Amino acid sequence: MKQSVKDIQQKLGLSDEDVAKPLPKPTQWSEPFWEAAREHRLVLRRCDVCGTYQHPPYPSCEVCYGEEFSWVEAAGRATLFAYTVNHSSVPYPFLADLPYVTAIVELTEGVRMISNIVECDHDALRNGMELEVVFADVSEEWTLPQWKPVSE
Amino acid sequence: MSKGEFAVIGTGEVPCGRYPERSEFEIAYQVAKLAIQDAGIDKDEIGAVVGAAHIMGGDYNTEMFFGRLPEAIGARNCKITACTISGGASSFSIRKTVEGILASGETDTVLVIHAQRFSQFTPNELVTFFATAGADQEWDVPYGMTYNALAAMVTEAYLAATQTTIEQVAAACVTLRKWAMLQPNAMFNSKELSVEEVLGSRMVAYPLTSLMCNVLADGGSAYVMTTAEKARRVCPKPVYVLSDASVYSHRSITSAKVKDFSEIMPFGPLANRAYERAGVGPEDMDIFEIYGSYPSIILMILDHLGITEPGTAGKLVASGKCDPGGPYPITTNGEAMGMGHTGTGVGFGVFVESVRQLQGKAGRAQVEGARFLIENCGGGAFMDCHFTVLGNEVPA
Repeated sequence: MKQSVKDIQQKLGLSDEDVAKPLPKPTQWSEPFWEAAREHRLVLRRCDVCGTYQHPPYPSCEVCYGEEFSWVEAAGRATLFAYTVNHSSVPYPFLADLPYVTAIVELTEGVRMISNIVECDHDALRNGMELEVVFADVSEEWTLPQWKPVSE
Repeated sequence: MSKGEFAVIGTGEVPCGRYPERSEFEIAYQVAKLAIQDAGIDKDEIGAVVGAAHIMGGDYNTEMFFGRLPEAIGARNCKITACTISGGASSFSIRKTVEGILASGETDTVLVIHAQRFSQFTPNELVTFFATAGADQEWDVPYGMTYNALAAMVTEAYLAATQTTIEQVAAACVTLRKWAMLQPNAMFNSKELSVEEVLGSRMVAYPLTSLMCNVLADGGSAYVMTTAEKARRVCPKPVYVLSDASVYSHRSITSAKVKDFSEIMPFGPLANRAYERAGVGPEDMDIFEIYGSYPSIILMILDHLGITEPGTAGKLVASGKCDPGGPYPITTNGEAMGMGHTGTGVGFGVFVESVRQLQGKAGRAQVEGARFLIENCGGGAFMDCHFTVLGNEVPA
């Protein structure tokens, strides 16, 4: 049974700040990822020299050390690589979300990401299952790509 | 480093657990004195004092950077002081620092210190710190990642990729507790566990229950390391560093270079490299002092040490063969599950226990006649692994 943020605040005597969700802290070389997410698009950075997709991105390509990149639209499809269902012992801002799924997803482009699996029966989670991207607007400025099972 | 060039000649350790009144400085001075006394040397022989950083910072680190420890312990002939940290791998990176100092010839005696006091922080400060310490602020933390969630994901995928069961993971907790019961300084040494109890405890992050997760603890340990030449002169039973082998894999677990989590990195070739460099094999090992930080990771590493087929360590542990008195003793201080999680100190605890075993000073946990053992540590989001082979003799 999920508890509301207000219930949790009251019960534990927490301020709004205590339960504020941590938002991504982007770097100058990852900003395009979050800008696209805001528009509900999933993009990945590909090296113009050797073609490697790199996530998370860094200033240089991890393979060829090149510095020329393109941000390309991802297919928005992935498979489940590993997951857990969180039941307790999470930071205050996530208490109201319990139980929630954190997972490693492997995109068709080959890179992996940490994310949440949503709109899913937790008992139906299986490694290798097909996933598609969805977008959660968590604040005015921030949107998190998340994943849900592919609907048949 | 050539085989057996350096040796540990004494160790010190304080009880681990919740000791809010005991400052980290007090711990540091205490373990330093214990190690110096155990080594049977004079404090004025110490030429370098090297410490591990206190996790979550504080005055202790600042004071260490500015040279408090040598002065406080009266190491009047100290020439070099340093603080080395690489998370859970600190016990290894600090030892390599020490080996470098010894190899320079500037001194032949180095004191290594670890001290940690988590009880000064609130539960949410600790949860939040460990949520962000193992996870990336940009890519992981906004999704509600925690260290337990990280270990849970790896465990879930390890179980799925091998024939290991969650009951076997629970059995590893039971084995570690049995070892901890023999340790006077362990946080959890008063009561045996059962598989049912472990499985029935509160669910934290599926499939990990609370008794499969670590409890943060205050604690500390220290040791004295010297050249082999000096060790033979001053110590009746030195413990020689015979070899080591290292790999760094990733920062974020999403960058692990494996096709599934039957392992996080190639442990087998790495352990073999350590065995080969030492001139010994798995059959020569009397103990497997594995630091996994979670019981499932211990199984994953044990899978690749040459005593069981990959994917079958769970079965081996559940058979009781890794318990006290069994043929394949593992992690004889009970690791973080037994000592409590003392930050960078978990690896130090395993290393210090390794030395005690080979010096014949392990008390009730003593594995009779132990001559050689393999030890490991690693840090971050399972970012690296370092195997070390230790022995109380140097094989030809």
